[in-house]
Amino acid sequence: MARIELRDVAHSYNGGKDYALKPLNMVWEDGRTYALLGPSGCGKTTMLNIISGLLKPSEGRLLFDGVDVTDSKAEGRNIAQVFQFPVIYSTMTVAQNLAFPLVCRGYPVNEIKQRVDSVAELLGLSELMQYPARRLTADQKQLVSMGRGLVREDVSAILLDEPLTVIDPQMKFELRRKLKQINREFGITMVFVTHDQTEAMTFAEEVVVMKDGEIMQRGAPQDLFERPGNTFVGYFIGSPPMNFLSAEVAEGKLSCPNTKFSVPADNLGGKGEIQIGFRPEFVELVDPEKANFATARIEKVDNLGVETIVTLTLPGNLTVRAKTTTRFHQDAGDVVGLSVSDDRIQLYSNGQRIGQANEMA
Amino acid sequence: MRTVYLAIKYLALLLWSSFIVFPFLWALSTSFKDANAITSGATYIPWLQFKPSSQGWASLFSDGSTGINIVDPYINSAVVTISASLIAITLGTLAAYGLSRFEFRAGFIKNNDITFFFISQRIMPPIVLAIPFFLMLKTLGLLDTVYGLILVYVALLLPIAVWVMIDFFGNIPKELDELAMIDGCRPIGAFFRVILPNSTPGLVVAGMFCLIFGWNDFFFAFTLTFTKVQLLPVAIVSLNSSVTPWWSLSAFALISVAPLVLIAFLVENFLSKGSLAGAIR
Amino acid sequence: MLEMHDVSRTVDGEVHLADINFTFEAGKLYTILGRTGAGKTSLMRALMGLLPLDRGQVLLDGQDITAHPVWERKMAMVYQQFINYPHLNVLDNVAFPLRRQGVRKAEARARAREFLELVDLGSMLDRRPSQLSGGQQQRVALARALVKEARTLMLDEPLVNLDYKLREQLREQFPRILERNRNSVILYATTEPREAMQLGDEILVMHEGRILDTGPPEEIFDRPANIQVATIMGDPPISTFPGVIEGDTLRLGGGISIPGIRRALPGDGEYLVGVRPIDINIPGPIPAQVAISEVSGSETVVHLITPFGDVLMLSQGVSSYDPDERLEIGFVADNLYFFSTDGRLISAPYGEERA
Repeated sequence: MARIELRDVAHSYNGGKDYALKPLNMVWEDGRTYALLGPSGCGKTTMLNIISGLLKPSEGRLLFDGVDVTDSKAEGRNIAQVFQFPVIYSTMTVAQNLAFPLVCRGYPVNEIKQRVDSVAELLGLSELMQYPARRLTADQKQLVSMGRGLVREDVSAILLDEPLTVIDPQMKFELRRKLKQINREFGITMVFVTHDQTEAMTFAEEVVVMKDGEIMQRGAPQDLFERPGNTFVGYFIGSPPMNFLSAEVAEGKLSCPNTKFSVPADNLGGKGEIQIGFRPEFVELVDPEKANFATARIEKVDNLGVETIVTLTLPGNLTVRAKTTTRFHQDAGDVVGLSVSDDRIQLYSNGQRIGQANEMA
Repeated sequence: MRTVYLAIKYLALLLWSSFIVFPFLWALSTSFKDANAITSGATYIPWLQFKPSSQGWASLFSDGSTGINIVDPYINSAVVTISASLIAITLGTLAAYGLSRFEFRAGFIKNNDITFFFISQRIMPPIVLAIPFFLMLKTLGLLDTVYGLILVYVALLLPIAVWVMIDFFGNIPKELDELAMIDGCRPIGAFFRVILPNSTPGLVVAGMFCLIFGWNDFFFAFTLTFTKVQLLPVAIVSLNSSVTPWWSLSAFALISVAPLVLIAFLVENFLSKGSLAGAIR
Repeated sequence: MLEMHDVSRTVDGEVHLADINFTFEAGKLYTILGRTGAGKTSLMRALMGLLPLDRGQVLLDGQDITAHPVWERKMAMVYQQFINYPHLNVLDNVAFPLRRQGVRKAEARARAREFLELVDLGSMLDRRPSQLSGGQQQRVALARALVKEARTLMLDEPLVNLDYKLREQLREQFPRILERNRNSVILYATTEPREAMQLGDEILVMHEGRILDTGPPEEIFDRPANIQVATIMGDPPISTFPGVIEGDTLRLGGGISIPGIRRALPGDGEYLVGVRPIDINIPGPIPAQVAISEVSGSETVVHLITPFGDVLMLSQGVSSYDPDERLEIGFVADNLYFFSTDGRLISAPYGEERA
């Protein structure tokens, strides 16, 4: 178990010309689940490799439980890493695969058996113990890779680098469930790197959104979703992304052209370019007369089964999207009303969140 | 701890490289010695330990009784090695492509067996091949000719070309060939238009191996030629008479090695640029 | 029109395709939905002529093309890996298929440029594929497939290796990008039900080399032919468990019964009951224990353990449940699915009876 701390850590692959990871401070608390989320090249894998010891940061210190481990090797850090593609010893059985890290460290036979059995049971691999590992399905192989990290009792953290990429959607549920179970039973800190927001949000208690080597926002999935700290997070989290519309301040009011949106706002003058942002999930489609936000023409209706995405065109050629899980019976061309509650509308100035529509008065 | 480790590492590297470079230095210093300097014990540094003489180098470029004919063996070696390498690489590349992309089956013999058959040619000790080659060339009337040597060298170099190229083609995704065929190429078109233009690294490596093995071969050059045709390695060895002119021999050896050093340098340069590595994902 | 008759292929006892009979019509986009190894790629390769068939025919506009080699079939394909010609620049990559058709160089390049602009790569014509990002490489591959304006266009999970947001972006652009190829037969393989629903005019659901169900997306979603189809179509998937109908009462395992169902039920007997994750509400008569709950933005997926089996619940909004927390849940009884014990659909809450 460990509390992992990054102090002024930064990394550059080309001697300081540009930074893959810009200077940052961060603490990973013991026993929690984290997700590092961002597009390719945002620095998330660099950060993971710094923690695991595969990479020495060009600046800053790394501390495990207060002990400086910046210079210690990967082997000494008791960190298990699971990669995008399952790593298994294909000539061995499942049981041999799981036992391998212990055999290498010279554990007594009965202890190996005991630990391997308990890990196998946890992962639901007990039935497959004598099965040759190469014949497993992708998700079973990934479980075995994970299991090899877990058999060592001294593991302090598990780092997962896009571990579900090669797993079918239906099986991802199962694997995530197992991961969380492991986290609960062993209290191991888990850091999950992904570009997939759904994966990050469903897995982690806390999500760290990164872009261009910088942390954009850190918080509980709900915070990132409901109150994105900047327009990038609003865009990156959520599918479809957050709707953004330009707003104007005039006569002590913040309003949005071509909509009914208008809230009192005394102190927003000179704040630069202001936008309002609201999630497609928070757009209610109602009768045009009852709408509190705007009326719009339906551009496109995408029925995705569980949910329906409605693309709407507002006067002034603004596009807004709404997402609904109730059955939707209107077609492209129809005119509908949009309602959005003020406490669901976020305000942004130059891309940074400055508040919520209902708090501006 | 770390500095000690580094020191040991560099010491080991230094030892190894001096072990490799020493024969060259020895040949270089010997090529500037005369009979006196050679018989008076091991010396290495010119002017200081012995008086340098250009006799060895001069003998390579002079005619008459003191001169050595270096030009003919050089040309012969170049012609034989280059033609044999070109033929071996052409045939080997085609064979390797076929073996990596199509399934062949003759009874119990499959692709892997054919590949093994090619490579097995190099498993046998050369002496086993020498007599059959000798008899075959004799029947064909090609003994002691450049053509006969080219033929034999093709047989020797083909396994190398096939082996290198099979491995190389194995790493090009089959989807690339498929794509070419989807886009309207016949299989042979897919090979020439798409696969071959992307095979430079493989061809360079195979070519380098072929040139080195061909250029350095002594055994077959020795057993299959007599008087008319002489290749470089044989020419060098033939200097070794009752009174060996060590100075000429050393100079000769250095000149023979020169093209290979040049090739190694060029190839290293090419490979380090990673010209095409990673182009195909 | 592209037809497949009894197309089958088995290699070393592993079924790749089994008795595929289907007619693809021009002007439609078919999404082929199935898990990895379901036979999606095999089906496309069979149509392309890249997969030798054990038996069966492929017909293009009534003409048997089974024996035609791939280079004569004039079809287009995009792989899930980013496959481009490494030695050619972007422009010549896209011009390549046209050149093979004998189009003159200048014209081929002009047309290639047009399609590269369509996929927003107009400014990268001179780059080599290795100098592009994954998303750009796949756009090149797309442009090269589109430029041929082939009668058949196949896209084999073209987005699966891209980042989530890039995937979303490109998926949105597909209708516009595919515009000029809309008169062709377009096949699009995917493992994701939402993607299949969003893009497809029709869906083919595949499993173990067979086509399990075909039809317009809503129709398949509402009335899946059997349990497997319902499971593959659901994200998160439908939960199923055995149940017995007696009159208007549904009896489930663990002594739980739901009385007074108003909807017309199939006759008395044993069934497999299916409940969609959105059709579970709280509170209700069924005791359940939370195995795990997952928050995904505006929704929460809760894995529940009930006396009759595991059940997935999707609830709107962010609600957090602790593991092992006990809940009382209920089903929207009118929205239950009933399958025969061997898995065929007997009764569904929505949609018209399908032929």
